[in-house]
Amino acid sequence: MKGTFVARNEAATRVQTSDLDARLQRRAKWSRLDIRLSPYLYISPFYIVFAIVGLFPLLYTAYIATRKWNSIAGDTGTAICGATCGDANATSWFGNFDWVLHQPDFWVALRNTFAIFLISTVPQIIAAILIAHVLDSNLRAKTFWRMGVLLPYVVAPMAAAIIFSQVFSDNMGIINSLFNAVGLPKVAWHANPLASWIAIASIVDFRWTGYNTLILLAAMQAIPHELNEAAEVDGAGRWRQLVSITIPQLRPTLIFVIITSTIGGLQIFDEPQMFSSAGSYGGSSQQFLTVTQFLWRTGFVSTNNSNMGRAAAVAWILFLIIVAMAVVNFLLTSRISSGDARASRRAQKKGGAR
Amino acid sequence: MRTRTLHSMGLAAAVALTLSFSLAGCSGGGSPSNSSSASGTTSGSASTGDQITLTIGTFNNFGYDAPTATMQGADLYSKYMELHPNIKIEPTVAALSDDARSAFTTAIGAGSGAYDIQAVDIDWMPFIMDNADKLVDQKASLAANDYLPWKTQQATTPDGKVLGGGTDIGPEGICYRADLLDKAGIPSDRDSVAAWLGGANATWDSYFAAGAEYVQKSGGMPWFDSAAATFQGMINQVQYSWVDADNNIIASTNDATKALYDQLTTAASDGKQSAGLKEWSDDWNAAFKATDNTAFATMLCPAWIVNNIKNNAGADFKGWDIADVFPGGGGNWGGSFLVIPSQGKNIEAAKDLVAWLTAPEQQAAVFTAASNFPSSPKAEAASGVADKVEPFLNNAPIGKIFTDRAKAVSVVPYKGSAYFDIQTKMADALNRVDVDKSMTPADSYTQWLADVKALS
Repeated sequence: MKGTFVARNEAATRVQTSDLDARLQRRAKWSRLDIRLSPYLYISPFYIVFAIVGLFPLLYTAYIATRKWNSIAGDTGTAICGATCGDANATSWFGNFDWVLHQPDFWVALRNTFAIFLISTVPQIIAAILIAHVLDSNLRAKTFWRMGVLLPYVVAPMAAAIIFSQVFSDNMGIINSLFNAVGLPKVAWHANPLASWIAIASIVDFRWTGYNTLILLAAMQAIPHELNEAAEVDGAGRWRQLVSITIPQLRPTLIFVIITSTIGGLQIFDEPQMFSSAGSYGGSSQQFLTVTQFLWRTGFVSTNNSNMGRAAAVAWILFLIIVAMAVVNFLLTSRISSGDARASRRAQKKGGAR
Repeated sequence: MRTRTLHSMGLAAAVALTLSFSLAGCSGGGSPSNSSSASGTTSGSASTGDQITLTIGTFNNFGYDAPTATMQGADLYSKYMELHPNIKIEPTVAALSDDARSAFTTAIGAGSGAYDIQAVDIDWMPFIMDNADKLVDQKASLAANDYLPWKTQQATTPDGKVLGGGTDIGPEGICYRADLLDKAGIPSDRDSVAAWLGGANATWDSYFAAGAEYVQKSGGMPWFDSAAATFQGMINQVQYSWVDADNNIIASTNDATKALYDQLTTAASDGKQSAGLKEWSDDWNAAFKATDNTAFATMLCPAWIVNNIKNNAGADFKGWDIADVFPGGGGNWGGSFLVIPSQGKNIEAAKDLVAWLTAPEQQAAVFTAASNFPSSPKAEAASGVADKVEPFLNNAPIGKIFTDRAKAVSVVPYKGSAYFDIQTKMADALNRVDVDKSMTPADSYTQWLADVKALS
């Protein structure tokens, strides 16, 4: 009897405990799920919006790129390369890409885009580092100088481009007038490829140098002062501090600045567009036509031959180029940092051996 | 090492995301679409007498706005709004025909974003005709107005729809700088200049011959502004230039246009008659009052360009004049239509406004205030038009001159839908020779042939 009771009681307790156990387990599972999933839930709004306005257009563009797609007539079948590739009526999903790669204008545009990108970005980032370094030192009226460098960024890109295109006018522009006054020959800013790249690069730099300066300045201020102070005690001048302490410490920020500049530089549109002044966008022999301008021209400008499919193909080619550039950038910059780390490790090892 | 790889992968992923974001942003921002407010914003229909907002997109100067210091105008919008208190007109003016065109074709393609009424230049009218189903037939609403027969013809589809109300036409004379001719010792009154250029029998040969004489007597000053601009005058006298009647592209095999190209580039480069300015550029604008070696002596002068000359030189500038003469017979350059995209919400109200704006009275008012020459014979005969004198052009009787010039127009060029792209490439070809001086005429022509081929 007793034994049965005990057994029954035990059984009841066991049932209770197992019930509690299950509940606890369930709760634990939920809380584990909670811990594991909620972060994703919290960041999901961004990715949902991204999927709608970023990923979907991206994939849909890939689809359009395989079609013959006129802005008026809509989708009219699989892409064709046309007379450029020989057979005028042969269809293939690769036709639009084929057409783009067969256009001499596309290659010229690619050359121009890289040239403008290099001419604008390299001096821009060097200038931004130097200006940020100067602003980081003890200046009077700090805020005034810091706001000052950002001022050009406030100017709308179109406005800047319009003003600069007048400044660079071939005959009546202020720069050529100055050149004329001091006896230098006039520069054909719109006709000469190199001159036009320099002119457009200067518009870009005017707007973006200050912006990058502020980003680098913020990063510089996060560098512990002890490092600089220690270097100063060791007798390092300001230049040495910049090269040996500040720039290495800036690496993550520099990666960011370089990558955003690369993306912006390869997508350059407003500046060359406004620089054209009066039609024939990109210049009459495409001397400053950029890839995005080529895209726009292919998809939208021509009345009779506008082909969104080909424009989409240009967009995808540009996308792949930018991804490739970003990867190269990334590998280069991370190699520089790990190379440095290796060097210091080597130095430590040497020390240990001694 | 492992965390390092993971870390790099995370960064790479972040980079890829950033990239796709910015690229997606680019594909949206690359197109010069109209503002989203472009389509009719108010709901409700004309019949109920509700407030209606009509948007209208024009370019350069149509003379409809209130006049300002640099824009002549007849203030027609306010007048119409006074007559129709329930209508509010929101005009948008693009600087160049090209800008208006790309925005308009994008909006038509997208099916939204077009203005209720869009001004369309004759050079891109073929595109309109090819897309007749995207536009409203205005035959009934325009029936009461009178237009030159060929003007209406240009906007009429084969099945008889009238897609646009004709605004102005561009009969061409020759505008010239009397002060510069004086300096070169050439008689500069209107009649002498007309006779010197060849009078009623003027040809492009006699025009360039006069140019050669001027260049020599003036010590190397340029004769005309731009080769591409001058070519517009020449090509508008050719009935079938780039496209034949069956819409076959004949551009690369047309001997007549090749001869014109050679004649023009010879005068421009070998003869040093061109100022080498790109039309509508800042340099071109600045040269109208110049006295240095960019100051050109003559230019082709369609009626509507008188506004631009006046604004570029400044209304007080003395020297510009116009001769009642044109090489190679008469010529018409430009002239526009008002079309109504069927995507609009206020089509009936838009029809009324187009009919009113292009009625003879309003066309006459526009010519009186600005210089856009009417496409309506009734307006051409109206007082204030036929007897209009332009103080800026040394009191030239431009009413009479442009009426004569309109009568001299004998060819209505056919421009198929392929015309515009080929013509744009031709302007590039001429600018390479004339403005950039980066190619010889022969090389540039070869390049143009390749460009035309790539259009397929």
